[in-house]
Order: sequence, then structure tokens, then C-alpha cells
Amino acid sequence: MFDSEQALNQSLHQFLHDYPLQVAPVSVDVPLISNQDIYMNIALIKQYHEDMPKRQAQRLAVEYLERVDLGQIAYKRNPALNPEERFCGMLLRAAMVKDAMILIDQPFKIIPHLKDIQFVTTALKKIDDLYLSCHIYDYQWMKEKYGEL
Amino acid sequence: MMSFGENLGRRVIQMLTAFADTIVFAGKVFIRIFRRKTYSSAMREVLLNQIYFTSVQILPVFLMVSIIFGSLLIGIVFQLLKEFGLTGFFGHVLMGLIVTELSPLLTVLLITLRSAAAINTEMAVMKVNREIKTLEMFRIDVINYLLVPRVINGIISIVLLSSLCSIVLLVSGTLFSWLIFGMSIDVYKNILLNATNFSDILIALFKCAIYGFFITLIPIRFGLRASHEFTSIPIVVSQGMVNVFAAILIIEVLSLLTKLL
Repeated sequence: MFDSEQALNQSLHQFLHDYPLQVAPVSVDVPLISNQDIYMNIALIKQYHEDMPKRQAQRLAVEYLERVDLGQIAYKRNPALNPEERFCGMLLRAAMVKDAMILIDQPFKIIPHLKDIQFVTTALKKIDDLYLSCHIYDYQWMKEKYGEL
Repeated sequence: MMSFGENLGRRVIQMLTAFADTIVFAGKVFIRIFRRKTYSSAMREVLLNQIYFTSVQILPVFLMVSIIFGSLLIGIVFQLLKEFGLTGFFGHVLMGLIVTELSPLLTVLLITLRSAAAINTEMAVMKVNREIKTLEMFRIDVINYLLVPRVINGIISIVLLSSLCSIVLLVSGTLFSWLIFGMSIDVYKNILLNATNFSDILIALFKCAIYGFFITLIPIRFGLRASHEFTSIPIVVSQGMVNVFAAILIIEVLSLLTKLL
């Protein structure tokens, strides 16, 4: 939790600097590629970094989407998604990074209408075998929304 | 007077710097084409999609334009040859002018209007939407993933479509040579074979490859110059397209000079 934009940005940059190969951002500033379907956005990471064959990577992406009960958005594109679906798409894409250290930057900026962090923690639990660690960055004044977390 | 000179000098320096930057950038992309590491599964998928969008989707329109425009052109040229008593140059005009000069030019103009403009806009929109930053954040090399497949696609598409255009023109030639000169297919074929200069065809194919390289590289380069404001999109697209047409002219002039020398 940070009390200023400067402190948050500084910390984000430090994290990116410390783990350049593992950091997997989930942020409004790191959007989904809009001219690709969601499953392609997710598969892209495996296809590029591990040279995984297209079909295998895309099958994996659809499988993971089904795991978070979002199989129906696989063939949709970013503008057609609601904030929750967009968040899960971004989260799964981040989880595709090898030994991913997921960095969620202000989750309530991605899903503004959320009352608490439960949706995010539930989604994270469903895919907890896909990442190494998860770090949530937010402002001090959002602390209330995080409850006991 | 002094300020005019200064302004002119500044403009010339800016132009030369931009030209040098483009050449350096082209060199960087060119080197990546030959690196094995560039060809990841993701890149190959983009390449296949690009070839489909540029070469396959355009086929009906391209064939129609080639047939209509090519047939008219061939008809007019043959008629003029007959009127001016230049029937002896028939084969050289057909191969040297129409096949090796006009069909690459017609192809590159069509592809520039359709695909180069689309690539320019796509890159600018990706930049404005911070999607380029997204790729960088996930350590996806923008040159390998976005640029190289489009450039390779440009080269392949222009070479293949230009060859197709040449075939359409030669087939039209068969019809018009029979209509205007009363020439049989065998005679037409012999004249063409005698007039065919292998080096001209090689130069034409090489020129197509150069066209393909630059009409995709320049729009990408200008598209990536967009700022993070939507208003920058039309600016970079128009700048990119003007520069593409300038590049087409330069390549055409250089190829003509190569032929003269």
C-alpha cells in the first residue's frame, strides 16, 4: 500500500527492475491487444517465449479460460468484454509467463465497481498453480476494500 | 534572406537525418529477417495471417483490376504500335515496358492503397492504445513480432502479385495480338521468347522485393511515431503514406537508372 503516486510508481519500477524476466503485469496501462481474440492474447506469451505450437498454446488458453468459468469469452475481443472478464483475461495472460511473478497494479482501477478484493482473490485461487507469486500494488486509501488480506 | 537560408538548411538536414534513420532502421529489420530466433510460433502465425490479408483477400479485386486495366493498356499500346508502324518492337514493348515496368508499378500502387495504409493505421492505433508498451512489458520484441512478418509479407506479396499481374497481361496480350495484328498464339509465343531478357526479369523481381520491403517498413515506422493521443493518428498516417509514395518514386527512378547503366 502506498500513500502517493510517486511512491507507487517508484516501487513498480523497482519490481520491474528486480525481476525483469518473471514480472507479469496486470494493469490498465498494459491492455489486451485489441485486434486479437482473448485466447490469442493469452496464447501469445507461450507462443513467443517458449515457441509453443499455435494449436497447443491456444488449446491451453481456452482450457485456462474455462477454469475461471470464462470459456465463452475465448473468441471475443477486448472492447466486447466487461471489466471482470477483461481482468481475468489480463490475469491469465500474465500467468502464462514462465515462473510468473504476477504484479497487479490497482485492481480497482481495472474493475472500478468492485466493493472488495474477493473477486480478485477467487480468480487468483483458481489458477494458483500457474504462477510463482502475486503482488498487488495499490494506494493506502483503498485499504478498506482489501479487508483482512 | 539569412533566415530563409537557415530554414532551408534546417529542412535539408532534417530530411537527410530522417532518410538516414530510415535506412539504419531498414538495416536493423533486414538483419532480423535472417535470424533464426526471429521465427517464433507467434511470429509465424502473424506472418501467415498477413500473407492471407495482403495476398489472398485482395485476389478477386486484384484480378479484376489487372484484367480491366491491363487489357485496356495492352489494347491501346498494340493499337499505337500498329498505327506508328512499330510492329517490330512488339515483343520488346510487351516484355520491357508492360511486364517488367508497369505490372510491378500497378501491383505496388494497389497494395500500397490497400495494405500499407492499413498497416500504418494499425501501428498508430496500437501505439495510442499502449499495446506496443504491452508487448514490451511482456518482453515481446516489437521488431520480431510486428515488423519482420509484415515486411516479409510485403516482399512475398508484391513479388507474387506482380508475377500474377504479368501473367494476366500476357494472356490479355494473346487476345489483343490476335484481334489487332491477327497473330496466332505460336507467333505471339515466339516473339515473346525472343524479346525476353532474363536480366530484366531479375531486375523486375528484385525491384518488387525492394518495393515490398519499403511499402511495409515505412508505414510501420511512421505508425510507431504516433503519440498517446488519438489526434496523432491521422497525422502519422498521412506522413507515412506520403513517404511511401516518395519511396515508390525513388525506387522506380533507381530501377530505370540501373537499366540505363
